[in-house]
Amino acid sequence: MDYASPPIALIAVGLAMAAGVYLIAVLDRSIAVLVGAGRWTWRGAIVGPIRSAALLLVQRRRTTERPDSPGWTLAPALLTGLAAVALAMVPIGPDMAAADPSTGFVVFSAAIVFVMIAVFLHGWSPNSALAMHGAYRFGAQALSFQIPFLLAMLATALPAESLSIVDIVDAQEPLWNVVRQPLGLPLYLVVGVAVSFWGPLNLPDASDLAGGTSVEDSGVARLLWKSARAAMLVAVAAMGAAGFLGGWWGPWLPGPVWMVIKAVALLTLLLVAGHLLPRVRIQRFVVIAWVILIPLALVNIFVSGALLL
Amino acid sequence: MSGGLLVDVIFWLFAAGALVTGYRVFRTDSMVRAAFYLLASFAAVGGILVLLGAEFVGMVLILMMAGEMLIMAIVMVMYMMNPAGLNPMWMVHQHRVAVAAGVLAFAVLAAPVLLVDFPDRPNPAPEEATAQLGEELLGDSMLVFQTAGVGLLSTMIGVVVLASRRGRYGEADEGSSEPSLELQDAESR
Repeated sequence: MDYASPPIALIAVGLAMAAGVYLIAVLDRSIAVLVGAGRWTWRGAIVGPIRSAALLLVQRRRTTERPDSPGWTLAPALLTGLAAVALAMVPIGPDMAAADPSTGFVVFSAAIVFVMIAVFLHGWSPNSALAMHGAYRFGAQALSFQIPFLLAMLATALPAESLSIVDIVDAQEPLWNVVRQPLGLPLYLVVGVAVSFWGPLNLPDASDLAGGTSVEDSGVARLLWKSARAAMLVAVAAMGAAGFLGGWWGPWLPGPVWMVIKAVALLTLLLVAGHLLPRVRIQRFVVIAWVILIPLALVNIFVSGALLL
Repeated sequence: MSGGLLVDVIFWLFAAGALVTGYRVFRTDSMVRAAFYLLASFAAVGGILVLLGAEFVGMVLILMMAGEMLIMAIVMVMYMMNPAGLNPMWMVHQHRVAVAAGVLAFAVLAAPVLLVDFPDRPNPAPEEATAQLGEELLGDSMLVFQTAGVGLLSTMIGVVVLASRRGRYGEADEGSSEPSLELQDAESR
């Protein structure tokens, strides 16, 4: 398969990220209104995110005593870059991929693993106690979700006998992985929420730490961190659609449309879960990850492998 | 990977980045910064490996190092009694010996690059580099390696279980209590 030319691929990934982040902002506000008691308005749901972003853009920058300035500046940019790398690995059609290296799965995983570096750096560098707590929390969270995440993803590579994401989607033409590996998608979604620290697993930036790693953020840095976090959720949902829901396979509609529909459906599911489920304590999440998720992920990969033999 | 000027520029950026960040590891005054500089250095080396056509090895290096460096930073901070690793401290001991050992090790490792007469027979890039690498590394001993891998993973899980919850001073998730100063209390535990 030919690569898209680099400038076009860059622009496409950037546009997809921007559209995804705005969609998340709109969906999140709308779901909050539907779940709660408020009333949905154009002004609140559609214009609201833009107003909030504009407000952060002109907000005065605060700083702390003796922060690690390079690290503090780097962290949101790093998370944005990781989300872009992860999203670039997701093909939206058989001939429409920003990049399809033969090791796409490994590149995506590397981006996911690096999220913990970005979050730790973000919490460590402001020289602030609550931010530091958030960083250590995410250390425990990330080291716990890493193995089940990689195992759940790796199982999708088995039927394709390839680490290329395009091959992984191609191999789902007869049967989607969500049916072939019934444990895969639930596992992937649970750890995917943890990866993008959203909703019930937003532990590093939780409100019980007054905002955790982003407690000292202000202005553009806060806007960038928030949007990078949302972009990561977009990448996780898009890869879930490609890896488990058959990507571009589907009747009647053209492939890329199916891909977008599936990604948005997963995104909506994750956002609704964020509003309906209570936050999980970090101690409980670590125990769940090591005692339940890893064994389930191992069972999933053993069964998938045995079925192929 | 064949390619023109752009690939050369990227190679030199990675090479310079690996050297500079590698040097900064020893010149910085914080354990967390040292760990992250080392990570940046390894990531640059991983990028060079990808340029050399070893995509899988390069990306796996980057993937593995991220987790390892974070664990290293946290463990160092825990052992060093340095709250959050924020207090400045020297990263090197025995300066002269360390400098001599570093220069010597670099010279020994770099000498072959200049002294060895490398053959000039460019091979075509393999189609399935990752699959060939797996065949070369594992080959017939796939089952042995997989068994060892699962064994290692279960050891890891066992260690985490042993270290996690039930400690000498109570359950970890309920907050630990300090040992009593009274001998009788300590004995009756």
